[in-house]
Amino acid sequence: MYQHNGEEIFIIDGHVHLWDATEENIQHQGGEEFIQCFYDYHTTFTPEERQWDIDEYRKYGADRMVEDLFGNAAADMAVFQPTYLTDFYTEGFNTTEQNAELATEHPERFVLNGTFDPRDGEEGLEYLEELHEKYEIPGVKLYTAEWRGDSKGWRLDDEEAFEFLQKCADLGIENVHPHKGPTIRPLNRDAFDVKDADDAASSFPELNFIVEHVGLPRLDDFCWIATQETNVYGGLAVAAPFAQNRPGKFSEIMSELLWWLGEDRVIFGSDYAIWNPDWLVEEVMEAELTEEHRAEYGVEWDLETKKKVMGENIADLYDIDIEAKREAFEDDEISQQFGLEDHYAGEEPTPADD
Amino acid sequence: MSTQPSDGSAPTRATVRDRLDRVTDPELDRSIVALEYVDAIEIDGGHVGVDLTLPTAWCSPAFAWMMAVDARDEIESLPAVEEARITLSEHMHETEINRGVNEDLSFAEAFPDADGDVAAVRAELDDKARVARQYDAVKALLEAGFDAEAIVDVRLRNLELTDEAESAAVYVRDRSFAVTVPAAPLERYLEKAREIGLVSAPDDHLFRTPEGDPIDPDSFELVHRRGRLAQVNMSSQGGICDGLREAREGRLERSADD
Repeated sequence: MYQHNGEEIFIIDGHVHLWDATEENIQHQGGEEFIQCFYDYHTTFTPEERQWDIDEYRKYGADRMVEDLFGNAAADMAVFQPTYLTDFYTEGFNTTEQNAELATEHPERFVLNGTFDPRDGEEGLEYLEELHEKYEIPGVKLYTAEWRGDSKGWRLDDEEAFEFLQKCADLGIENVHPHKGPTIRPLNRDAFDVKDADDAASSFPELNFIVEHVGLPRLDDFCWIATQETNVYGGLAVAAPFAQNRPGKFSEIMSELLWWLGEDRVIFGSDYAIWNPDWLVEEVMEAELTEEHRAEYGVEWDLETKKKVMGENIADLYDIDIEAKREAFEDDEISQQFGLEDHYAGEEPTPADD
Repeated sequence: MSTQPSDGSAPTRATVRDRLDRVTDPELDRSIVALEYVDAIEIDGGHVGVDLTLPTAWCSPAFAWMMAVDARDEIESLPAVEEARITLSEHMHETEINRGVNEDLSFAEAFPDADGDVAAVRAELDDKARVARQYDAVKALLEAGFDAEAIVDVRLRNLELTDEAESAAVYVRDRSFAVTVPAAPLERYLEKAREIGLVSAPDDHLFRTPEGDPIDPDSFELVHRRGRLAQVNMSSQGGICDGLREAREGRLERSADD
């Protein structure tokens, strides 16, 4: 938990991966370009002394991941968001099954999401059911720009996609995380386009749509859609690390998000291992809105807002009882491993405000 | 203002640069010269070569295409130029783009596996640029004392722009009086609004919703906020592009040192 002005804040990292981009796993030039592109994002928005070299970045493994996330209690829990890219990587970049190896080892710490691809048709629907039965996935990460054979992507408002969303609704898989941001080779097809989320969100009010990367570089379209669809949320991955080396820009983006979406619909995520919560959480927690933006937008990045964005909002979506978790972490395996028992036992629970 | 010779001799570097300065990164609505995408300009008689590098190899091929084509067209519009050759480097589709632009192909010809042409993407980005530019123009009017009702009612004929002048006049209440405002944001807005054909007739409403309609006074504040949001989106993406470019340059320098 993050100690902030004498208060302890429960941090849920809403967006993490355990990937394999080793040369042995790459089967298409796109796979190499993809990891290089990720690495550019990593170095661009990571303090120099915290940057990894490309080899450790290709594959870091479960032990390192656990230590980075939880070793100093930078995060208390994390949500796995798989990215398959099976045309690029022989075994996939990070599939549900790969992520599950670690997630099932520490089910109290990880939420394991699955995925679907409407281009897989009947087989895809069966796979979704299988993920549901095997792992009880509470959500799906969707990669609309993913290549598959001759196809260069798909849309959330395709008829086939609606079948899959209906299946999610039927199975009680409530949380849908479309990746809307950095993309793989969009050609002239605008794979950044977020407008397909609009129709999907209004057609499936029982589902929550967490638009990852807040639609950047389509923040404007995203915010406009989110004002109209109350089941649309913004995932902060990519926007969060601006706090570190573009603090004025972070202030501006956060002000816009809080103005258009309000403090209940913005959700923190590191996109680990692109960025590492072990420094990112602190940067975001200590970030401030500029005087100018506070006056212009009339919003605050204060303690209450931070608690919501950094944990409570996604806890609501995933039915996570933060207080019960805090108690459980007083002696779970990870707390024992890193000597964090006292950290979690630290204080009497603070009375809830609401 | 033009530095270009009229006797058919070679264009000057400054003339070519001026032309390139008119080319924008369509996603950021900023000049490719200001963004430092132009690595080199080679002039050999009427032949001009321009080397471009974008922030990442992953920049949308459609955007890269637009910039390369616009650079070629701007330079070739100079009478002293016979031919412009564009060389895009460090891009995953540099081969297709360089060949297409220099052989005058269409985007669909250069990228047979693409879903069609770039016109729709260009139109959408032009619209965003227009909305973002409108924010500055409207802000200038607000600062000059206009209220929402007056602003939504301004027609093209109410705006008086004079070449090179630092201020413009905006007439209100059917030309009964004029208010002086800074010219630059209005010129910049009007350039884009005209380019996309949104504002052309004297009676056209000057300012529009993002969808292109005249603005209802009740939604003025919201439309203005959307303009601000469009600006924040562009400058945020600009921050990402800047950062990626720095990171890439750093990486290239390091590998050159090895």
